[in-house]
Amino acid sequence: MTQPKEIFVLTDRCVGCRTCTIACAVAHSTSKTLFGAVAETPRPKSRIYVEWAAPAHKVPMVCRHCEDAPCMHACISGAIRRTDDGVVITDTDKCIGCWTCVMVCPYGMIGRDLERHKAYRCDRCPDRDIPACVAACPTGALVYQTVPAYAADVRRHASGEMVKGKGS
Amino acid sequence: MDSAEAYVIVGGSAAGMAAAQAIRERDPAAGITVLSEEADAPYFRPLIPYLVSGRKQAREMTLAGSGPYTGRDIQVWTEARVTAVDCKGQRVTLADGRQLGYGKVLFATGSRPFLPPEIKGTDTEGVFALRTLADARRMAKRAETTRRAVMLGGGLLNLKAAFALLERGIRVTLVVFSPEVLSQLMNPSDALLIRHALDRAGLEIRTGTAARQIVGDESGVCAVGLDNGDEIACQMVCIGKGVRPNVDFLAGSGIRIGEGIVADRFTACNQPNTFAAGDVAVTHEPVSGRPIMTALWTNAVEMGRCAGFNMAGLPTAYTGTFGILNATQVADMPFVAMGTVHTEGVDLEIHRHASAEAYRKLVFDTDGKHLVGAVLVGDITNAGIYRYLIREKRDITTVKRQIVNHQLHYGHLLPI
Repeated sequence: MTQPKEIFVLTDRCVGCRTCTIACAVAHSTSKTLFGAVAETPRPKSRIYVEWAAPAHKVPMVCRHCEDAPCMHACISGAIRRTDDGVVITDTDKCIGCWTCVMVCPYGMIGRDLERHKAYRCDRCPDRDIPACVAACPTGALVYQTVPAYAADVRRHASGEMVKGKGS
Repeated sequence: MDSAEAYVIVGGSAAGMAAAQAIRERDPAAGITVLSEEADAPYFRPLIPYLVSGRKQAREMTLAGSGPYTGRDIQVWTEARVTAVDCKGQRVTLADGRQLGYGKVLFATGSRPFLPPEIKGTDTEGVFALRTLADARRMAKRAETTRRAVMLGGGLLNLKAAFALLERGIRVTLVVFSPEVLSQLMNPSDALLIRHALDRAGLEIRTGTAARQIVGDESGVCAVGLDNGDEIACQMVCIGKGVRPNVDFLAGSGIRIGEGIVADRFTACNQPNTFAAGDVAVTHEPVSGRPIMTALWTNAVEMGRCAGFNMAGLPTAYTGTFGILNATQVADMPFVAMGTVHTEGVDLEIHRHASAEAYRKLVFDTDGKHLVGAVLVGDITNAGIYRYLIREKRDITTVKRQIVNHQLHYGHLLPI
C-alpha cells in the first residue's frame, strides 16, 4: 500500500461558507449536479459538517478513517471495512441501521439516513482524484495530502516564520 | 497429543474471531486454530433474527470476508467442543477425544441462554432461546406453523426476535416481569417513547407478570400459563431471560472462575499462557471500577482484539467497558443507553428533556463536572462523543451547556 492521502483541516482558514457540504452532497447524489441534487428524494446528504464553536471558530469535520477504527470493529453486521487505499467504508447493503457505529464514533462523523434506514459516512470520493469537499473549498481550509508531504509543508512554513522572527 | 498449535482459541464468535484477526495482524506466520462447538462457520450472531424474519440468508451472515475479518490463514474447526483444559501440559481435549496442544490459549466460549428453573416445560418443542444460527433455523421452521408466539422477557434480544416474528405476520405477546420493557437498559420513565413505538408496531405487552408453565401437546407448545392465572394459547415460546457464561469445561483446570473467568487488565488468566475475553470473562466498569460481565458483540470484539494483541506479544491494557452500552432501533425508535442509566434513588445530577419525538436523559456525577451516563431516544446524533466523554472521565464544565441541550459536537472539544 502506498502512503494514502488524508484530508487535513485548517480551522483558521475556514470562513463557514459550507461550500464543502454542498459539494459533498452533490458528489453523493444520483444526478451529480447541483440542480439535479436539490430536486432529488431522498435529499442527497453531506458527509462533511461545518460546526461553530465559541467565540468565532468554524470547524469543518469529516471522517478521519481512524487507524484502529472503532466503528469498523464495533459494527455488528460486518458492513464496515477498510479498502486497500486505507479508506474506511460502509457497505450500505450490509448495514442494518442498528446505529452502533454512531454510538462509538468519538468524532460524531457517522450520519443516519432515516429514509433508507442506513448509516452513511465519508468515502473519500473513490471516483475522483481529489475529494469533492477539498476541490470545492474556496479558502484552502481543506488539504488533501499524504502525511509526510503535509508535515513537510508545515515544517517549511514554520522554518520561514522562524527566519522572519529573527529579523534577518 | 494429536497436534499442537501456537495459538488456540476456544470459541468462534465475536471475541474469539476478533482475537484471531488481531493475532494475524501482529504475527503473519504463526498457526492459529479456532475451536467452535457450533456446526456453522463463524457468523455475525446479532444478525440471526434476520434469518427468522426471512430478511437475510445464513450465507449473508458469514464472518470471514466481511468487515475487518479476512479469515486469512485462520483454521476453524467446527463442531469442536472443548471439554477439558490441561494448563500444565498446555493442551485442550475435545468432546470426541482429540487433543490439541497450545502455545497460548484464549477462552472465548461466550454465554448461553438462562432458562429459569421455576418455569415448567421449557423443554417442550417450540420453546426457543434464540442464541445460535441453528436455533434461528429451527425457529424459522416452527414460525411457518405459528399463528401466535409468546416472548418471555423484555430485553433487547427478545424484542428483536419479537419483531422478526411480527414481520412474518405472527401475533406476538411479550410477557415482562418488570414494570416496563428494557428495564436493564433504562428506568421505566425513560422507556416511554420506546413503549409507544412498540405499541404502534402491534406488539402486545403484558408487564408485571411472569410465566409459570409452558403447556404442550403432541404438536409441541400450545399455551403459556402466567402467575396471574391467565393462559395464553400459542404455538411458540421464546425465552430471553439473560445469559450465563460457559465455564463448565474449565472445571479442574486451575483457571480462576468468579462469576465468569477472571482476567487481569491485560486479559490474562491466572495460569501461564491463558487468556480470556468476551461474554465469558469478568471485566471492570471504567467509571466505578466495579467488576461486571456483559453480553454484547461490540464489547466482546473490543476485548477479543485486546486479548489477541496481548497473546501476540503486544501488551495492551483492556480499558474495561460500560455495563450498559447499547445502540439500536426498535420499531421506528432509535435509542442509545450507556454508562450509569439507572438513577432512581441515586444522588446524581440528572438532566431530562422530553418532546413528542425525542427523549434524553444526561447523568452527571454529584459535583456536576463529569458525564457518567446517557439515554438518548429518538435523536441519537453524536452519541459517540458522549461515550468518549464518559469513558475518558473528561471534565465537561466548559461544554456542559452544549451537552444538556444536546448540541455538542467535536469542535467544542478542540483546543482552539
